[in-house]
Amino acid sequence: MACEMSQMEGSIQTIINVFHQYSTRLGHPDTLNQQEFKQLVVKDLANFLKEEKRDKKAIQDIMEDLDTNSDKELSFEEYIILMGRLTHASHEEMHKNAPLSEGHSHGPGLGEGGHGHGHSH
Amino acid sequence: MLTDLEKALNQLIGVYHKYSLLQGNYHALYRNDMKKLLEVEGPRYLKIKSADAWFKELDINCDNAINFQEFLILVVKMGVIAHEDSHKE
Repeated sequence: MACEMSQMEGSIQTIINVFHQYSTRLGHPDTLNQQEFKQLVVKDLANFLKEEKRDKKAIQDIMEDLDTNSDKELSFEEYIILMGRLTHASHEEMHKNAPLSEGHSHGPGLGEGGHGHGHSH
Repeated sequence: MLTDLEKALNQLIGVYHKYSLLQGNYHALYRNDMKKLLEVEGPRYLKIKSADAWFKELDINCDNAINFQEFLILVVKMGVIAHEDSHKE
């Protein structure tokens, strides 16, 4: 990895680092099993999946949905689909919470309580 | 307080808008916006494919603009490549 990362590369690096932080714990070092995925959701998606993280069945359902090859493990390719979905959901939330104004504006995103500061461009 | 992972995902929304707000529709990256984005945010991905080739690949509905959902495909593709590279290093 180059020493200077762009914002986008930095975000992608974080997505990869968090995956590896859990994938290396148990079993195959480059996949998430159910336990590793649950730990990731509870700790690293604590606000984005606030409701789901308390519900074992909900976490299981998310995992089953992402596990497109049904091998009971999430590969990086399967996990990053969740990242795309959550980014989409957060963007939708920002528009739902956007202050009424001319031009383009965003309110708080997912897991930020739905009130507070907004900004417009 | 958002986690680092959640902040990283929101930052991707910021990256998209940095280029999508430059001109025209607020949720559209036109050909030159996309080129700028790739040059600044991921020049190494231009070694794999030209800006034009990326644009064609991502413009799934062929409306000559990359909407937010189409941009997320780029995020997934870049992520998969970067993850593969992380095991080569």
